[in-house]
Amino acid sequence: MAEILQFPRRAAGKAVTAANTVLTEPLRHWPTHSVDDFGRDPHLVQALSPLAHLRWDVSVSGTQHLPVKGGALLVCNTRRWALSNIYAALALSEATGRPVRFVGRPDFAPIGPLLRRIGGLLARPDEVLGALRNHELVLVSCAMSNHSRHAGEVDHSLIGAAVVAGVPVFPVATMSSAMSRTARAEVGPQVRPRRKRKGPLAEVELAEQVQHHVQRMLDGFGGLQTGVAPLDWLAEG
Amino acid sequence: MGGELGSLVAAQLEAEPWVGALVGVDVDPPRRRLRTAEFHLLQPSQRERIVEVVTNFNPHVLINLSVWEPDARTGLAHARQFTADATTAIVGAAAECPALESMVVRSGIEVYGRARNTPTRPTELTSIDPTTEYGRMLANIERSAREVGKRVGIAVGKLRLAPVLGKHVPSPLGRLLRQPVVPYSLFADSPFAVVEDGDAARAFVAAAANRLDQPLNIVAPGAITASQAIVRGKRMPMPLVGPEWAIARQLSHLAGAPIPEHVVELMHRGRLADGSRAREVLGFQPRLTTPEVIDHLYAWESVVRVGRIREVA
Repeated sequence: MAEILQFPRRAAGKAVTAANTVLTEPLRHWPTHSVDDFGRDPHLVQALSPLAHLRWDVSVSGTQHLPVKGGALLVCNTRRWALSNIYAALALSEATGRPVRFVGRPDFAPIGPLLRRIGGLLARPDEVLGALRNHELVLVSCAMSNHSRHAGEVDHSLIGAAVVAGVPVFPVATMSSAMSRTARAEVGPQVRPRRKRKGPLAEVELAEQVQHHVQRMLDGFGGLQTGVAPLDWLAEG
Repeated sequence: MGGELGSLVAAQLEAEPWVGALVGVDVDPPRRRLRTAEFHLLQPSQRERIVEVVTNFNPHVLINLSVWEPDARTGLAHARQFTADATTAIVGAAAECPALESMVVRSGIEVYGRARNTPTRPTELTSIDPTTEYGRMLANIERSAREVGKRVGIAVGKLRLAPVLGKHVPSPLGRLLRQPVVPYSLFADSPFAVVEDGDAARAFVAAAANRLDQPLNIVAPGAITASQAIVRGKRMPMPLVGPEWAIARQLSHLAGAPIPEHVVELMHRGRLADGSRAREVLGFQPRLTTPEVIDHLYAWESVVRVGRIREVA
């Protein structure tokens, strides 16, 4: 006669449990409350920290200039392919104990979401303004240059966000080598505008001043130090 | 007033000392016991009747919550139709009320859209650029209310809610996250924020009391990613990378939890908004954070057993 066909529940259940374990296990060890209001994940930053230290050994100075509370805009120089804003933001976060968000993440997967998880923001004045109004430390970069001791132009629209939010602006000089781990990030004192302006000149002038400050700090770093004097003289140009 | 959010707002308004009489219109009867409110069971298509009820009552404050989220209670086509009909009837009727001082309309943070290079955490000053049908529906509500406000000279407050989750709120996002197997975008896994229905209701009451005349984001503090929500809910995560989303959507639809495009967008691109202005303007602070709302979502019982009903002589 007829035979009752039964769905292999036990076997299917085992397969589902095994699949669940494989898929869930890597996620289980991760805290489930780790993303902040801007999508930064401090636990991921901490987890990636050994990798960052493997590449960069950053010496940080001048953090006493930064406010303990409240927002501030930091402006750093950047050499092509040096990822200065990323290593400086990570090092400053570690040194200050406050999350430092860097500006200039792309908006496509998977790089964009990954950089957002380590504190990346889009290079938009409204994005920077939103973070500054929420009392965050935000690091923007000068225009890229080919020389490590040259500060490129500063985007005045991003500086405008600091002017609108009424937060201080600090120059950050960064220096790194493509060949070694040694890197440096130095925060300078707050850049105060020379003249009070009511209109957009405030941000244009402040951007020029910040670029000038960063350049002066980079000049203060001195030239290449290879230990071989003739090479250092050549590098002085 | 018949939906969960509407019933909550009505119940809270009844307790307010500044509220005299209260009249509500909806397609469903109220889900809570309302003591003083008068309720009219009307379809969104019954425009003349709605206009008659509203104009006869001649309110000082009008709150429009009639938004049908696609795949929450009905499919996209019906949601679009019902929302448009209700907006025309209610916002149109508002213009005919001589005593009206203020109107508060429900909108959502979907109006900002999530196109490439749009702000991660838009504020109320960010221009609206919806990228989904639901976002466009909400933008239309805002536009209609703004036009009426300008023409009649009344305050128009727009509350842009994060996805609303609550015990009895029909939400495609809530339904998706409560499935046993939940898909998420492996390469993006973007953060999003939500708001609890009770908090959303409090925001409407505060906006009405303050005669709000601007848009405000109503968002629970904090954020969560889809994978984190899945782990919190002890669900089985299904990482997807892109093209399989179409299949996952179909399968989920068959399983009874359709995934509309604005939820897919949330999963891929995230959905955050800056809710700090609501605190400044209304003094409104959500009671629950986003992770807490998600925890509550998973704490609901699938089946609520009411026990045996005793007969009383």
